[in-house]
Amino acid sequence: MNNWPLCLRYIDLVLLSILLALVPAVSAGSPYYLRIATLAVVYMGWTVGFNLIFGHTKQLFLCLGALAGSAAYVTVVLIQHFQLSPWITVPLGVSAATALGAIFSYVSVLRGLGVIFLGVVTLAFSLIFQNLILGLRQLTNGETGLVTRGLGFSLLDHPVAAYYLFFGVLALTLVVYCSVMDSRMGFAFRALSDDELTAELSGIDVTACKIIAATLGSAIIGLFGALYGFYNGIISPSVFSLVNVDIPVLISLLLGGMRTRLGPIIGAALFAVIEEFVRPFGQLDVLVYGVLLIVLFVAFREGLLPMLRQALGLIPQLAIFPTVRETDDRYKKRTLM
Amino acid sequence: MTATLFDGIVQGLQLSLLAVGITLIFGLGGVLNLAHGQFAVIGGVAAKLLLDLGAHPVLAGVGGVVTAGLFGVLVDRSLLLPVYRCRGEDRLLLGLILTLGLSFVIDGYLNYAFSEFSLTFSLPIPSVKIAGIPMRTAGLANSLVAIVVFLVLFAFLRSTLLGKTVRSIIENEVGAELCGIDPARTRMIIVGLAAMMAGLAGITQGLFSSLGTEMGPEFTILGLLVAVVGGVRSINGTLVAGVFLGIVNAFASRYIGAYVAYIILLSVAMATILARPGGLLARST
Repeated sequence: MNNWPLCLRYIDLVLLSILLALVPAVSAGSPYYLRIATLAVVYMGWTVGFNLIFGHTKQLFLCLGALAGSAAYVTVVLIQHFQLSPWITVPLGVSAATALGAIFSYVSVLRGLGVIFLGVVTLAFSLIFQNLILGLRQLTNGETGLVTRGLGFSLLDHPVAAYYLFFGVLALTLVVYCSVMDSRMGFAFRALSDDELTAELSGIDVTACKIIAATLGSAIIGLFGALYGFYNGIISPSVFSLVNVDIPVLISLLLGGMRTRLGPIIGAALFAVIEEFVRPFGQLDVLVYGVLLIVLFVAFREGLLPMLRQALGLIPQLAIFPTVRETDDRYKKRTLM
Repeated sequence: MTATLFDGIVQGLQLSLLAVGITLIFGLGGVLNLAHGQFAVIGGVAAKLLLDLGAHPVLAGVGGVVTAGLFGVLVDRSLLLPVYRCRGEDRLLLGLILTLGLSFVIDGYLNYAFSEFSLTFSLPIPSVKIAGIPMRTAGLANSLVAIVVFLVLFAFLRSTLLGKTVRSIIENEVGAELCGIDPARTRMIIVGLAAMMAGLAGITQGLFSSLGTEMGPEFTILGLLVAVVGGVRSINGTLVAGVFLGIVNAFASRYIGAYVAYIILLSVAMATILARPGGLLARST
């Protein structure tokens, strides 16, 4: 597998990129579908970041909305108050999110927090973030939010250009992700997602790996958050709430398949389709959403991609997706406390 | 000062009552129940329906609690079955997602079917003076209920055979199974019990102020916070954590203001988890 030429090794991603690049042509001038596609790309970016944090290094961050939101708010507030160019404020916003993610990861590793404990700490942070935004009214305009149209890159105000911008950023993100996963760091991630103790014993610096993964993931989430803030035209606490960011991203990741490079993309795309499917139910949409969630997860426990791989793996000629699972689940004895 | 302290204890007991079910279900089943607040709302809705049928308030309350408990058993015997078949990480994740889905289903249905719903019990005497401090009878009744429930729960866990079974499973599921304990049966009883306590918390919320169908997620988050601050496996810890956070909230609202109080409450919860990751009452950190 590793001896294959580069374009063949990443044929799944290349095919996917071509598919994604064709979307604006297919949606042919319908701004509605183009917007949905753009949103789906944003969620794909968030899910890739979350895959690094939660999938590869088992750190349950329930503050994705808060991370994305803090990047967006820092970016926009700096522009409004100091008339800086977005070329300066976007990196500042992204660094704010990155720093937050790094701090959470560092503290949790330092204190040896289990999955649930880190989850609840970051959940509390999300709620604090929401309340701070509501409270710092003179800066953030509270619940009403800040209008961002015209503040950011002019590219983002044009629907097709905005789609390609997000697509480009996503492609860049995936390149970074793949190069990390193919490096020694990637092997370390795989080892520690299998068994942290064994990884530590074989000389992997688990602490450093976890912090690096969380930092990189938070940077990705922050970047998409800041750009999404401009694209959306308005940023408000509800845009970055748990229900609007964290839960869809978590579902997308689990739906697509954790620890896979294609999973986040497929999961987020599928989630966008599900949302469209649920929309006509009006008031009962939450109920249908819940039912779908339960049915999908009982049916595809491992995520769609690993299931697809197994199905394709049965036909050897078609085995373009790697079928190797890191270890057999039966031998995994892990408590997540 | 003393009044604020009492107020905090009353709020805290309410929080503990809500959270103890999360602790029990997690300890016993390894499932973090994200639909726990919705169980509370179900209890409240059932009580309200019974009240509307003309039932006596106490009877309506009991009916609500029983309905919540039955619903809990139903969920345990249907939705959670695939979850219990997994172990370790898979169980935690699947449990998280399925109960999240369940909470959407319950929220979606209740908000649709009972959109104008609000449950309020009013007691005949609004307030009494105890040791010179005026106290709302609602708060007192609320605490009394919570204290009785906790005493019964502790007695059940300490002295009955079933209670000991429960504690042994919390300690070590495989070990308990090897000793001939059937975890599935115990789990069903405990999930039912936990749901009953959630339902009770929902109904006592109606005593306090009022209960609406949209309060489920808020209850879940508060319960989760309290359960985790208490150490998520320790029932004593949950009780202490609830009272502690209740007192923090009461003092912060009294002296600083309701808006900042919530931020303070969350920050204290965060700080406590970081300071004592094993839970408030853990012997070693």
